[in-house]
Amino acid sequence: MSKNLVNLCVNPCKMCMPMGIVSAFYGLKNCMTILHGSQGCSTYIRRHMATHYNEPVDIASSSLTENGTVFGGENNLIKGLENMIELYNPEVIGIATTCLAETIGEDVPRIINNFNIIHPGNKVKFIPVVSMGYSETQYEGFFMALRAIVENVDMVPEKNNKVNIITGMISPADTRYLKRLLDSMKVEYILLPDISENLDGQHKESYNRLPEGGTSLEELSLMGGAKLTIELTTFTKEHNSPAQYLYAAYGVPFVRCSLPVGLRDTDALISVLEHAGGTKPEEIMKERGRYMDAMIDSHKYNAEGRAVIFGEPDFVYSAVRLCAENGIMPVITATGAKCGNLKERLEEEVQGVADFLHIDKFLILEACDFDTIEKYAVEYGANIMIGSSDGRRIEEKLRLPLVRCAFPIHDQVGGQRVRMLGYDGSLELLDRITNSLLIRKEHSFRGEMHDRYYKEEAGDTSVDLDKISSLKEVAGLRNKADIILANKKKTETHPCFNGCGSEYARMHLPIAPKCNIQCNYCVRKYDCPNESRPGVTTEVLSPEQACEKYKRVKEGLPNLKVVGIAGPGDSLADFESTRKTLSLIKREDPEVTFCLSTNGLLLPLYADELAELGVSHVTVTMNAVNTTIGAKIYKHVDYMGHRYFGEVGAAILMANQLSGIKRSTSLGLICKVNIVMLKGINEYHIPVVVEKAKELGCEITNIMQLIPVAGSEFENIPLVSNREIMGMRKQCGSILKQMYHCRQCRADAIGTLDNDQSINFRGCTGCNDIEETDRAEEKTFLFAVSSKSGILVDQHFGHASDFYIYEYKNKVIRFKERRSVSKYCDGAEGCDGMGGMNKEGKMEAILETVKDCNGVLAMRIGEAPKQKLKEKAIETFTTYDRIENAVRVAAEKLCV
Amino acid sequence: MNVRNIVLDKYSAKVYKNRKEHIIEVNEETRQQPIAANTRSVPGIMTNRGCCYAGCKGVVLGPLKDVLVLTHGPIGCGFYSWGTRRNKAKPEDGRNFIEYCFSTDLQESDIVFGGEKKLRQAIKEAVEIFNPKCIMICSTCPVGLIGDDIHAVASDTEREYGISCMAFSCEGYKGVSQSGGHHIANNTLIRKVIGTGDAEPTKRFTINMLGEYNIGGDGWEVERLLKRIGYEIITVFTGDGSYETMKNAHMANLNIVQCHRSINYIAEMMKTKYGVDWIKVNFIGLEAIIQSLRDMATYFGDNELTERTEAVILDELANIAEEKEYYYSKLKGKTAALYVGGSRSHHYQNLLADFGVKTVLAGYEFAHRDDYEGREVIPTIKEDADSKNIEHLEVKKDERKFHAYLTEEQYEELKTKIPLEQYCGMIRTMEDNSVVVDDLNHFETEEFIKLLKPDMFFSGIKDKYVLQKSGVYSKQLHSYDYSGPYAGFLGAINFARDLTMGLYTPAWGLVIPPWKNKSTLKAKLAGGEK
Repeated sequence: MSKNLVNLCVNPCKMCMPMGIVSAFYGLKNCMTILHGSQGCSTYIRRHMATHYNEPVDIASSSLTENGTVFGGENNLIKGLENMIELYNPEVIGIATTCLAETIGEDVPRIINNFNIIHPGNKVKFIPVVSMGYSETQYEGFFMALRAIVENVDMVPEKNNKVNIITGMISPADTRYLKRLLDSMKVEYILLPDISENLDGQHKESYNRLPEGGTSLEELSLMGGAKLTIELTTFTKEHNSPAQYLYAAYGVPFVRCSLPVGLRDTDALISVLEHAGGTKPEEIMKERGRYMDAMIDSHKYNAEGRAVIFGEPDFVYSAVRLCAENGIMPVITATGAKCGNLKERLEEEVQGVADFLHIDKFLILEACDFDTIEKYAVEYGANIMIGSSDGRRIEEKLRLPLVRCAFPIHDQVGGQRVRMLGYDGSLELLDRITNSLLIRKEHSFRGEMHDRYYKEEAGDTSVDLDKISSLKEVAGLRNKADIILANKKKTETHPCFNGCGSEYARMHLPIAPKCNIQCNYCVRKYDCPNESRPGVTTEVLSPEQACEKYKRVKEGLPNLKVVGIAGPGDSLADFESTRKTLSLIKREDPEVTFCLSTNGLLLPLYADELAELGVSHVTVTMNAVNTTIGAKIYKHVDYMGHRYFGEVGAAILMANQLSGIKRSTSLGLICKVNIVMLKGINEYHIPVVVEKAKELGCEITNIMQLIPVAGSEFENIPLVSNREIMGMRKQCGSILKQMYHCRQCRADAIGTLDNDQSINFRGCTGCNDIEETDRAEEKTFLFAVSSKSGILVDQHFGHASDFYIYEYKNKVIRFKERRSVSKYCDGAEGCDGMGGMNKEGKMEAILETVKDCNGVLAMRIGEAPKQKLKEKAIETFTTYDRIENAVRVAAEKLCV
Repeated sequence: MNVRNIVLDKYSAKVYKNRKEHIIEVNEETRQQPIAANTRSVPGIMTNRGCCYAGCKGVVLGPLKDVLVLTHGPIGCGFYSWGTRRNKAKPEDGRNFIEYCFSTDLQESDIVFGGEKKLRQAIKEAVEIFNPKCIMICSTCPVGLIGDDIHAVASDTEREYGISCMAFSCEGYKGVSQSGGHHIANNTLIRKVIGTGDAEPTKRFTINMLGEYNIGGDGWEVERLLKRIGYEIITVFTGDGSYETMKNAHMANLNIVQCHRSINYIAEMMKTKYGVDWIKVNFIGLEAIIQSLRDMATYFGDNELTERTEAVILDELANIAEEKEYYYSKLKGKTAALYVGGSRSHHYQNLLADFGVKTVLAGYEFAHRDDYEGREVIPTIKEDADSKNIEHLEVKKDERKFHAYLTEEQYEELKTKIPLEQYCGMIRTMEDNSVVVDDLNHFETEEFIKLLKPDMFFSGIKDKYVLQKSGVYSKQLHSYDYSGPYAGFLGAINFARDLTMGLYTPAWGLVIPPWKNKSTLKAKLAGGEK
């Protein structure tokens, strides 16, 4: 699992401290704030708040300039305060510093002192807050401001009968609800802060620029004498807690509750209020009953919810608890803040849901950005997001519905009226979440049901289709739907198309050596037996030989279902051979599935004939649908007797690919598109290609890694990691079905995807064997072989759980032992070829295992392990061969 | 007493002295007077201005689609400038950096011990994950104070990763507004980007669009028009712009300048360095568009081009004629106030006039005197402590790449016909008794609404709700309230439609503007006519 990036924040899931501070001051009556620093801070924050609340937001600035950074900003701040008082006549002014003021070390209390010396009659209450953008987040800033307020207001310590209610950042509408609740319970209270009017004003006859709502200084002064403080926050630290201060300074006892969201936390607050002398009115109990009724009404739909919940710690905590009690699984819980015990507080809660839904993984992330959230949202199968509108980019990209219920909401109206507090607020939020799930379901369930059930059913009820030998006959008798059905039926036994049809075997017949385009990642050298990648083969067969080979293989492998033509060149560039081969084999075995892969250049020409020949599956390698990008991938294209270069060549190729695929799918052929992911070339263009493939009616796309080939144009371009490949596949998975199991087979591969047996059938039609040489001198070498079967070098280095150790001595090869190592790579994450940090340890273990060897033999190996081995003077050999052969070849190379 | 004095009288003596220089009531006499602009805002009076970083990162660099713009600083600055300007961009290769916000998210310990190390690491991660062709580092307030050498990091990055990387010291406290940031961005683009490419143009008449940020798709509508006539646009600074095309900017024959304030430095420097002429254009408002297109054709002096220009103008006009007439009938006689950045307040007066709307107040947020009074006053603008802090870059002629389209005689002759290197400023085109206000603030906005009673007020989000609460139709001209494009012929109709929609919505008829019951003057209900 990759870690959060620590140095680069990509799409932040947090804001700065001053944002929280000015929001809190908006809950005071006749209060204004000034930010001591550059004017950009005020301007940005005003913009951000006004867009959310749809209200005027006025935050002054001391407008520090370069001058101020040198000589201090005292003059500016004093001037600013004077002007605010003159123009707005406020009772309270909150003065928050910024990055700039803190970095140059401004002493605001001293400046306030000097102000009062110049203006001895000053009646305005100044409340300074130390605040810097490079420390913590808006969440902490909000409580720091509240703490500063209770510290600075002159308190009347005489006891009174009031209860202090302190809240975090809740919406104006929720604040109004809270006040109604307290009134209805007949609790006398002082609310800090009260943003209910100031950030959700009315349209009145006259507009007053000074915030008239909110808690007044007079009310605040009674907080010191209150009988109890109830602080509605879960994670606020002690030094930022107003309740702690009131307790320490005035002995006001306090209780801390979580925000009253969901049944349990609302119950808890109401019970605390009862203890504080409140009465429980019937109306509240009705609300409670209605919420419970709603929980039951929607529980069936909720169980399908896999939520990503992000935002401030208190919000996230409450939203998770609401989801949990309704059976919605929070697969990812994320906050941009660091609060230490979020994980601890939530783990049990989330685990509970996970257990009953049989979900084995979930994540709780702190100090995290949206880039990280996005990555995991895909991996953890989320289907809904809950948080602020900052998640809208993920919403759009991954088509995940986003329930906007936290600050800021910038792309919709009504941010100031979002409800989630109390029984009826919880009900409102729950309804929104459930409805988002339902909308999603409504839009997708037909397709999903069809894919899941109908396809199989079709297979069962159309047994007669199995008997159909040729599509040509079918074409005469049945309509196109039937042809598609027949081809889809064949898909079930096609190992490359059916996802994981490991029990069915396929064989690739290398009959077409010619190619009509030059890709920059390919070298046309089809006689290299030491590589395993598309376009590579040991022998090229004539149509007659191919048919012979087919018969032999079919005898040996009764589960052989598919015959593929995969080159080693392009199967259509030499269509005569392809046509003949297909006709011969079809005569031999009418039920075989024919599959063909091509670059698509000549597909429009031959698509009809292919359908007639009974080809049911076509794979087109299409790396781009944009000529600029295409020109970077294809060196030249030979078409109709001419050679075309650059964008012209690419344009011809692409036009033919598109029309070819379209023709093929309209003939009922099942089409797959292969895309080689090329870093820096088409990596960001792939989703466009996949979209196009979908539009043309393809069934599936296969995004593949580039295997660098020595001597090719792209020999040295950086490799794409497995993780990037998987990421791209997942991303494109939302567009079209993806092939996750590609083995990038050789052009003469035989067997099931996991077990290549071509070696057993090699040379059977009289082609050259590998010549033995006698160059090996009398030397002793030790080789570590990565092998699944113990017979062949047939495993990726990274997949080896143990190594076969072979000794080569005086040309004699001897098996010595089998050494176990814990696996170095682990499937899904894959061997990313980069040697990720967390794999360092495992790598060491492997190096320890093979340290006395001279060479390592594997089917493939990542670049990083290769380097590591090289540093230890261990040579690497990648091959696919019998172990003995491979060891001999390797030893000979070492001797040279 | 005129409205100017009524408003100023409410200020304390000190503020009065400062603000009176920034406000002009236009008449024969005041048209000749200088206006105070580009000076420090008064602290505490709710200026709408932003900071240097906002001008550099937010305005000029932000719209570049193939550049990874990395904010070096605390999280706030990067976060608040993330996708807030509604620039549109269509990426060629499927990836679009303007959707992202990249920040080094500095922490307290970085401020104490220096943030350079973190910046280097962040760049390393950025290269590994995003593999960009170009990285631009923008610094924020604390970075300048703790002395991180971002320029050294940039050159190390170029060496180490073989990509282009440049640093912008656009700390928020520099200068007096966004304007300083524009200048800093301009300097570095001319120094490090323009002139480094060599892609040959394919057409005869080649131009760059300067100061077009493609808000709400404005740039695309203009591009459509220009392509229709037959121009090749080499690059755009910087709406839907890219590092890749900016490199070839010096290959163009002519620069057309839309937003004079934010980009005139590049226009000037390209003239000196590469010989590329520039003219001021305006694609907002029908008359203005037609004039601009004709000026361009005059510059190239080609008969066929001129004919095509006229043909396109006729066709575009015919296409909108009917709608134009309808909206004119709905909007005629209304009054407007404008308070926008550095050019729009001028440009939109043309568009409003097309529909019979009179401008009663206009002001710029961060303009300089030349934007108000015309470029002739530039030599008379006094440098102050703040403007000295922004580097003035002197460029020299690039002998190898220098190419002038016109001969000297042609140039001198054309200068009398089209605005070659000229901009007349806003005040000269405004009617008598209208008011010009520089750096308008919250208080003045309210006062002027009461006195001038405009039917509509064009401003930004910070004023929007003040205006609406006061009963005045408001339109954001920074972001267009999710609408646009407003440029070009089709854009003009979009604009008129939005205004008509806004003014005549039933909601305005049901709410009562505050002065309705108080004013002794006969007040008009905005859009409330029966």
